[in-house]
Amino acid sequence: MRKLWLMLVCAFAVLVLAACSSGSNEEQGTNSNGTSKQGTEKAEVTGIDGIEITEPVEIEFWHAMSGDHEKALQKITDDFNNSHENITVKLVNQGGYGDLSTKVMAAAKANTLPALTQAYEDWMTEYIENDFITNLNPYVESEKYGFTDDEFNDIMEVFREMNTWDGVLYGLPFNKSTQLMFYNVTYFEEAGLEVPTTWDEMKEAAEILTNDDVIAIGFENGLSIGFNQWVHQAGGQFFDEATGEFKMNSEEGKYALTYVNDLIQSGVARTAGEDGYMSGPFARGDVAMYFGSSAGLPYVAAPAAENGIEWSTAVLPSDAQSAAPFAGTNVTMFNHLSDEEKLAAWQYMKFLINTDNTIYWAQQSGYIPVRQSALDSDEWKSYVEENPTYGVAQQQLEYGFYDPRVKGAYAFKNAVAKELDKVFLGEYTVEEGLEAADKAAAKELGK
Amino acid sequence: MNQKPTLKDTLIGYSYLLPALIILGVFSVYPIIKSFFMSFYADYDFFKDIVHSYGFDNFIYIFQDTEFYKSLTNTFIFVIGVVPASISISLVIAILLNSKIKFGKLFRTIYFLPFVTSVVAIAIVWQWIYHSEYGILNYFLGWFGISPIEWLNDPKWSMPALIIMCIWKSLGYNIILFLAGLQNINPQYYLAAQIDGASKFKRFWHITVPLLSPTTFFVSIVVLINSFKVFDEVFALFNGRPGPGYSAQTIVYYIFEKFYNEWEFGIASAAAFVLFIIIFIFTLIQLYVGKRKVNY
Amino acid sequence: MRQAFSKGFIYILLTIGSLLMLLPFIWMISTSLKTPGEVMSMPPTWIPESWKWDNYLKAWEMAPFLRYTLNSIIVVIVSTIGEIITTILAAYAFSRLQFWGRDIVFAILLGTMMVPGEMLLIPNFVTLSNLGWINQYEALIIPWLASIFSIFLLRQYFLGVPKELHYAAKIDGCSNFRFLWSVMVPLAKPAIVTIALLKAIGSWNAFLWPLIVTQSEEMRTLPVGLTAFTTEAGTNFELLMAASSMIILPMIILYIILQKYIIEGVSKAGLKG
Repeated sequence: MRKLWLMLVCAFAVLVLAACSSGSNEEQGTNSNGTSKQGTEKAEVTGIDGIEITEPVEIEFWHAMSGDHEKALQKITDDFNNSHENITVKLVNQGGYGDLSTKVMAAAKANTLPALTQAYEDWMTEYIENDFITNLNPYVESEKYGFTDDEFNDIMEVFREMNTWDGVLYGLPFNKSTQLMFYNVTYFEEAGLEVPTTWDEMKEAAEILTNDDVIAIGFENGLSIGFNQWVHQAGGQFFDEATGEFKMNSEEGKYALTYVNDLIQSGVARTAGEDGYMSGPFARGDVAMYFGSSAGLPYVAAPAAENGIEWSTAVLPSDAQSAAPFAGTNVTMFNHLSDEEKLAAWQYMKFLINTDNTIYWAQQSGYIPVRQSALDSDEWKSYVEENPTYGVAQQQLEYGFYDPRVKGAYAFKNAVAKELDKVFLGEYTVEEGLEAADKAAAKELGK
Repeated sequence: MNQKPTLKDTLIGYSYLLPALIILGVFSVYPIIKSFFMSFYADYDFFKDIVHSYGFDNFIYIFQDTEFYKSLTNTFIFVIGVVPASISISLVIAILLNSKIKFGKLFRTIYFLPFVTSVVAIAIVWQWIYHSEYGILNYFLGWFGISPIEWLNDPKWSMPALIIMCIWKSLGYNIILFLAGLQNINPQYYLAAQIDGASKFKRFWHITVPLLSPTTFFVSIVVLINSFKVFDEVFALFNGRPGPGYSAQTIVYYIFEKFYNEWEFGIASAAAFVLFIIIFIFTLIQLYVGKRKVNY
Repeated sequence: MRQAFSKGFIYILLTIGSLLMLLPFIWMISTSLKTPGEVMSMPPTWIPESWKWDNYLKAWEMAPFLRYTLNSIIVVIVSTIGEIITTILAAYAFSRLQFWGRDIVFAILLGTMMVPGEMLLIPNFVTLSNLGWINQYEALIIPWLASIFSIFLLRQYFLGVPKELHYAAKIDGCSNFRFLWSVMVPLAKPAIVTIALLKAIGSWNAFLWPLIVTQSEEMRTLPVGLTAFTTEAGTNFELLMAASSMIILPMIILYIILQKYIIEGVSKAGLKG
């Protein structure tokens, strides 16, 4: 105990000194840079058609799929391994998406990245920034291993765009979902209401449906982070990827924010708040309709059925235009691999979303098939007939859009959402909120 | 016994320390030094370990960031709310559990349960306790004519909600530490005091408190440090968000967000560095007070 | 009379407290037996309408829990024993030995507690990767073989043991090492058992670290298995709680077994003050 506190001060001094002396080690990093740069250049494409896989190649695919999703993915992967001599793809479950992202970060730092991973677009933006992932254009264009134009354009346009940065394709879409309107059929029938297709109808219906026990509209807690949906529907723009500008502080943005905020402030709409997710209150009959992810369908189905709630889904209501956000991860390929490993990885990526597999995957998981040919197939059509709620998401594909992809997108989206939240909490007026969001966005984007 | 240690003494001392020093040196001290160093990176490539220039940019950034100040304030509120309450409540319960009571074993097991119960279960039950409409807390408050509080929806109440849950959650752990500490007090002291006719309170004040002081000192330092580092509980109680409108964002949440979600490694390190300095100062104060009050 | 009254008061206080402590635990067990619809009900039902015991079977089959259990047991046993040994040695040095730099080394180690663990994850991953230990038991065990928290705790406990014992032993010609193992360790049994218990629970419940440093199902531990019940769109609470209940059961049993060593320390050790 004697003078321990003094020692703690000394200890601190020692730490600082040690930190400074370890500086010299850091400098050496510069030397190794030259070699690692060469490594990536070597892997730049040198005629993919000329590559043959003659020796056994084993590659890893890191994913965050669990339960039934994982089983379906495993089945597709087994099929691939059985049909491709010399290639073995090993699935590695890395926990949830957050864990997967952390793991990729750690592996990148330790130079132990796998061949393939699931990734959101904002992760991919960071990966591109740090030169982790592979330009897929040469693979798409390859005569021997690539796609024909028809095959490539068969992938939904919105999904192709999501994976393209400055004309370079960095990934293929895998598990994609969109926002839907879930509604309580009984409540609408009792009130003699049609399912709203426009904002005006929705507002009208909301006022009728709200009573002592029921709040008409539910929003997930992600309302503010996914607010671009409302701005787009109002005919505005949230973010301009080409110029890197935040565009919500506009007439349309103001109109959209006012519309949603009025719903909340007048008590006909609520956010999930303390309930965590809207599926709970919806399955209890506390709300008449809510906006949620199509990936959540199975989680609504079971409890709602038990509680005797009759429900269905519909496309998002529109205002100036229809717009639906699409989210979910893609599969992307890291670039430290040998040419053979890359080719193997590419073949797996292609296989994963061929027409048959994307149908199988969608049926097992509830995600959206990523190919037009899959949507047109008899197999999928009869599936949708049996499960009508699963057929709604695809109707929104033609006007689908996706989140801004820009360096620091995560921080930017959050900074804006924080200010919008203050509007919904009643701390800011709509104008103040937009002003503040504009400033916050400028700060994050200008960093 | 306080003669100057010889070289031989020193060698003996370090031979005892060696196993622990190797592990802690490699897996704690070394990465911490690296991360402190990183807080001075101004222009760098984290993944390739290249530093183009050093500077105070990261510190300048955080000290101009209102979010950082908000996180600091929330963390201080949290520490003030949790530390004294947690220590005193667990001390009292530990003493009760240590006295000769019926069902002592059962009670001790029950008070230990929160420590092993799944964090998810704990968070969900507290979400229910706090629920504005269905929750039991508002139900009890209703008895006293207090109108329902939106514990988890209202930014004003999110910190109190977090603090109450964390006091509850820390009890099991602290009680175990106090129970262990109480065993170090020789029962003969109590016997002697009882023979001298000392009252229960006097015995508590003159025997338990001073003789438990090394444990109390330890618990208070550990609870303080852990409270400054609160993170998981925020994540669990508010479903992965830092409360409504970021009202319960703590400093480690800020660090986590910067490091893992925004890839701002230097800024995260700088914030961790500032947190370190703050905890460090508080620990110094505790050590200083402890030096005068702790009996060995 | 007053005695009885205050005793009664103590029992009432402890019982109310117990209920508060038990709530989440009861909810966990009760949820593990519910149907998905009943899980969502608000306010929660405490007794399931129909007892779905097969949730436990379903949960068990969702992940290779047998293998995970084996790994967890190996990791807990080895790392707990290892930590106890390093802790006893270090705590003794910090509390009873005189040597150069003692307090400053202790202070540096204390300082490491002040940095959030989130900052250490990536550098430690890189270290383990350089050592070639990723996806090996080494990665799951070796970084956790020492803890400053435990050293600090035991040091405090050792400091509470009368110094006269040490002097007396020295005069009797008892070596430091023998004194430590034959006098100090038995005396500090409550603290050592406490450390072992906290360590075992911490190691048993550790999630992020085992997940990050392993690459295959064969190397993973029980808490990693809990991720099987959650997807981005929702959580199967009834299965998650069934699995959680199964996982914590061994720790509760461990506590019940070890409790008597924590509580009956000194009286058994027979210390004459």
